[in-house]
Amino acid sequence: MVRVEHVMGMPVVVEARDGDVPDEVFDWLRRVDETFSTYKDGSEISRLRRGELDEADASDDVRWVLRRCRELRDETAGYFDIDAVGLDPSGYVKGWAVERAAAILDRAGSSDYAINAGGDVRTRGRWRIGIQHPFESQAVAKVVEGDDLAIATSGAYERGEHVRDPHTGAAPAGILSVTVTGPDLATADAYATAAYAMGPRRAIDWTARLRGYEALTILADGRVLATPGFPSVD
Amino acid sequence: MHRSITAAVGAVVIALPVANAAAAAKKKVITSTKTVTGPQAVADRWGYIQITLVVKKTTTIVGKHKKVTRKITNVGVPVYPNHTDRSVFINEQALPYLTQEVLQAQFNPNISMISGATATSFAFEQSLQAAILQAEKV
Repeated sequence: MVRVEHVMGMPVVVEARDGDVPDEVFDWLRRVDETFSTYKDGSEISRLRRGELDEADASDDVRWVLRRCRELRDETAGYFDIDAVGLDPSGYVKGWAVERAAAILDRAGSSDYAINAGGDVRTRGRWRIGIQHPFESQAVAKVVEGDDLAIATSGAYERGEHVRDPHTGAAPAGILSVTVTGPDLATADAYATAAYAMGPRRAIDWTARLRGYEALTILADGRVLATPGFPSVD
Repeated sequence: MHRSITAAVGAVVIALPVANAAAAAKKKVITSTKTVTGPQAVADRWGYIQITLVVKKTTTIVGKHKKVTRKITNVGVPVYPNHTDRSVFINEQALPYLTQEVLQAQFNPNISMISGATATSFAFEQSLQAAILQAEKV
C-alpha cells in the first residue's frame, strides 16, 4: 500500500510492501506540524520564538528535540545551528518525525516499508533508493541499496530551505549536495545540512571522519566523493 | 532568417499553378533547424539554469496543401549552477578514506524512492516549459 499526503509543508510518501499504512502514521506527522511548525502561530515553537513560552515549560517532545539539536550544534562545530536565525528546529524535526512514524509502522507489524518526507528517506527491509542528480531532474546520481536505511540529502537544489553557513551567513560555494546515511535519520539530516554549509574543503574532511555514518558529496567540479562504507550500488 | 526563406518559398508555390499546373501536385519538403532558448531560471540560491532546444521544422507542400511539423532534436543546458571555481583545492593526501569518481546521470534506475530535493529540477522545468512554448512558434 502506498499513501501520499502533504504534511509539514512537503509531500510525504509511505509505502508498505507487506500491508496497510495506518492512519496513525499521518495523524502523528500532522501533530508534529501543529507542535513544531514555524509557520503556525499557535505552535509551541512559534510561542517560544515570541517569548510567550519558556523552554522549561514546553512539552517533553519539544524539550527533547531542542536538547538534541544543541548537541548536534556542538558535534558539527556550530554548522548545524537551530538558533542562527531565530529558533528553527525544522531541519531536525523532519527526520525525527519520520523515525517516530517508522516506529508506528514497526508496531503495526510492518517489516518492509519506506517513508520519504521531502527527500529524507527511512526504510525497513531491503530497498533501492536513488540520490537526486543535481542538474538532471529526471536522473539520479547514484543508487543506494541496503537494509534498514536512513538517507538524508542537503543540497543546492533544495526548495524552501536556505542552508547557510551560520558563521558567515553566506550560502556555500563549490558543493552541490551532501548525502548522509546511518542509523538515525534526523542525525543524518543534521550532518548533511552541516556538511553542506561547511563548503567543499571542510565538508570533505569532516565527513571522512564521521563515526557510524557514511557520506557522499557532489562537488561543483563534477567530482563525487564517498566514504568507503557508503552503501551505493556499483 | 529561416522565417524569410520559408516565406519566399511560399510565394513560389502560390505562383506555381499559374505557370505550370502539373507541377502543383508535386511534393516539396523544406526543412529548417532553429535553436530556441528558455529564460535563465533561478535555481534557488545557487545560480541560474537555462535550457535550449534545437527544433527541426519540416514543411511539406503538396499542391496547395502545406503541412508543418516540428520536432525537438536536441536539448542543451548552456547555463547551469556551476559558478564556483573549478579549481577548488582539495588536499588528496588528507583524505585517505574517500573514494572519488565523476558525476554521472542514471535515467532509468530500478529504484523505489529518491533522496534529495527539487529547486534545481524545478528551475529546469521552468526554463524547459518556456523553451517549448517558443518552439511551438518556430
